[in-house]
Amino acid sequence: MSAPILVGYTATKEGADAVAVGVRLAAATGAPLALAIVLPADDRSVITPPNDGYERYLQGTATQWLAEASAMVPDAVVHSTLVRSGESFAEGLLDTAREIGASHIVVGAANGGLRGRHRLGSTATELVHYADVPVVLVPRGARKTPADTGIPRLTVAIGTRPGREALMDEAVALATAADVPVRLLSLVTVDLPASVDTGVIRIAGAAHADDVLKRAKTALPAGLASEVIVGRGDSIEDAVEHLTWEPGEFVLVGSSRLAQRGRLFLGATAAKMLHALTVPVIVVPRTRAPKPETPKPETQQPDTQAENGASA
Amino acid sequence: MTQQHTGAPLSGDPIDGGLSKKGLSAGTVGLIGAVVIGISCIAPAYTFTAAVGPTASVVGAQVPAIILVGFIPMLLVAFGYRELNNRMPDSGTSFTWAARAFGPWIGWMAGWGLVAATILVLSNLAGVAVDFLFLLIAQITGNDAIADLAGVTWINIAVCLLFMLAATTISYRDMQTTQKLQYVLVTFQVAVLLLFVIVAIIAATGGNGFDSTPFDWSWFNPFAVTSFGAFAAGLSLSIFIFWGWDVTLTMNEETKDPERTPGRAATVTVLTIVTLYLLLAIAMIMYAGVGDGELGLGNPDIQDNAFFYLSGPVLGPLAFLISLAVLTSSASSLQSTFVGPARTLLAMGHYGALPASFAKVSPRFFTPGYATVVSAIVASAFYAVMRALSEDVLWDTITALGIMICFYYGITAFACVWYFRKQWFDSTRSFFFTFLFPLVGGVILAVLFVTTLIESINPDFGSGSNVGGVGLVFILGITVILVGVVVMIWQRIKRPAFFRGETLSMDAPESLRRGRR
Repeated sequence: MSAPILVGYTATKEGADAVAVGVRLAAATGAPLALAIVLPADDRSVITPPNDGYERYLQGTATQWLAEASAMVPDAVVHSTLVRSGESFAEGLLDTAREIGASHIVVGAANGGLRGRHRLGSTATELVHYADVPVVLVPRGARKTPADTGIPRLTVAIGTRPGREALMDEAVALATAADVPVRLLSLVTVDLPASVDTGVIRIAGAAHADDVLKRAKTALPAGLASEVIVGRGDSIEDAVEHLTWEPGEFVLVGSSRLAQRGRLFLGATAAKMLHALTVPVIVVPRTRAPKPETPKPETQQPDTQAENGASA
Repeated sequence: MTQQHTGAPLSGDPIDGGLSKKGLSAGTVGLIGAVVIGISCIAPAYTFTAAVGPTASVVGAQVPAIILVGFIPMLLVAFGYRELNNRMPDSGTSFTWAARAFGPWIGWMAGWGLVAATILVLSNLAGVAVDFLFLLIAQITGNDAIADLAGVTWINIAVCLLFMLAATTISYRDMQTTQKLQYVLVTFQVAVLLLFVIVAIIAATGGNGFDSTPFDWSWFNPFAVTSFGAFAAGLSLSIFIFWGWDVTLTMNEETKDPERTPGRAATVTVLTIVTLYLLLAIAMIMYAGVGDGELGLGNPDIQDNAFFYLSGPVLGPLAFLISLAVLTSSASSLQSTFVGPARTLLAMGHYGALPASFAKVSPRFFTPGYATVVSAIVASAFYAVMRALSEDVLWDTITALGIMICFYYGITAFACVWYFRKQWFDSTRSFFFTFLFPLVGGVILAVLFVTTLIESINPDFGSGSNVGGVGLVFILGITVILVGVVVMIWQRIKRPAFFRGETLSMDAPESLRRGRR
């Protein structure tokens, strides 16, 4: 994997969490890391008068923040920094991802969440409902996991719905690149609407889950270490909490059926999982859009700034 | 930010015109966008309701004349402002420019003047918004008693503080409306004011006004004002009504066509604003007269908020439109006004003229967070104290505000003249724009500043509020300036580097004629 991993950075603890997870992902897969700050484009300002001096001050500050973030990245990981502007942080990140051909976008949690937990901020929310590349959601406090932890294992949450192929492709690509075992997880037996006669369906569901997992497992390439597990509990949150997690492990989830082709849309089950998970989560688009179908769209404003201080 | 003086482009190294002109996303604001920002910064509905009464009280029926004359120093100073902004774009504006021209002490006071003026206007804006909120509710519910709640001191202060809190949050988080909504609001504001003008003039010519006064060309004669003191006081108020207009001139780099858009935007904005003000002034005088009767503009009880009292009698059931226009115009103006002191305080913190915390930028919202919050707290405290001290706080803050604007705009104008001293005779253009225009503008403002300050010692000046026989406006103006001096000396002791010129040095660009290589 040589496509860069893009980290949406803010000079906050959550930003440092995102850098730490980006570093582990990049180090494990041998990908370069790109740290980006997206400043508000001044055409979004319709009330406040734009001011050149302030714009420049912001750009200088952002460059400095990125220099501080770069210092957190181990020398072994190739990394560069970028300052961009956009209508919103999420939009700017998506444009930047297209510009540099990023494989993943990593974003930190929202301010004010609980330690170790996920909390989607406005940027992450926008991304998980629209992005066309996998989005890595980072729980608070992820920066405390040592960088040399690497990625010990990938857990793939498998449903029965379309989009599974894209999810499996992503899991295989990542596991192969990072050379780590895969754990296939099914939450089918828990993931039931409250109205149905759960007793009967659970039994049927269990068989179904086993079947799905078995088929998924056979889809994995030979030589990739794998295990399967069926989550059990009163609720998705409950089931997830009862699973054991390796420190530094990543979870992959697919998109909901509501997603447009090639785009992300965080489904209800995945959203519930996020409440309970304490490890980074990679949300994968519904289907991998064929490359020719997503030509680089014309950006609204010319990119007036050069890449800042690319360092190796 | 941990290292203040490295990396950021606004560091103390000499800033010269050769500095990269690239903005972050250059070429984005179009002509209409620039005009809309200009009009919404001036907020004519708010400005006029706050300023027409105090102006009429000093110059009588010659309000239109004063509006026209007041524009002259504003225009002249704005030319200098534009030259400085082209040469040294900096978020500190007046502070940075004055420090570059005259050194740290005068620069510091110019920054203080700007911050104090905008904090005064913030509290006034919020105060006016409170009045109109209650009036609007009263008009919609048909219960007139609700409008009187605005007069209850504690309710007034509490609601005003809520307004400030909301405005601070919006400003801190840099929440913007959509461009469409902003266009609609500005159009609505102008349309409602025009409606008011038409209805008032028709009522007055039909003899149905409160004190129908036939139009008279002498209203446009500035020499008909009785005394020079009154003339100066009126002028310093009319400077306030154009305040904010200069942003259209300085938006040069972000506009779609930097050669022409700012000039056109400024022209369109100012023509709209002047026409609107003149029509409003004429309509109000024709309808209500300048006497001190119930609705007369000379009545001290209605002077601090003319629309508040006149919209009902003039527009009847449609009066709520005026309330809505003033409310929305104050709301958007609150936000654009917040930006001014916050950016200047940020620059002052950056150059070490204030604690470094002021230079902090919010990593999430990219706004000058600390400076915004400090401005909000000071403005809220100021309003609460003033409201408790005086019922006529709105009136007196507006007059004190006029004085503060004359103070820092005057310094800015002189800073332009002095900074470009080696380039005055480079070309005809530089002679006018860097020497003559700002010099004349600066002298006018200096004269207004001194005259108004002296006039305001009189306890009868302004609303007539006084402390120990000295006019409240004078006390306000002098206190603000003296507090500035005290804080400056304190900062000199704590942060000598700035005051030794180590972070922001004095400079004067060489003449281009001699410097040609």
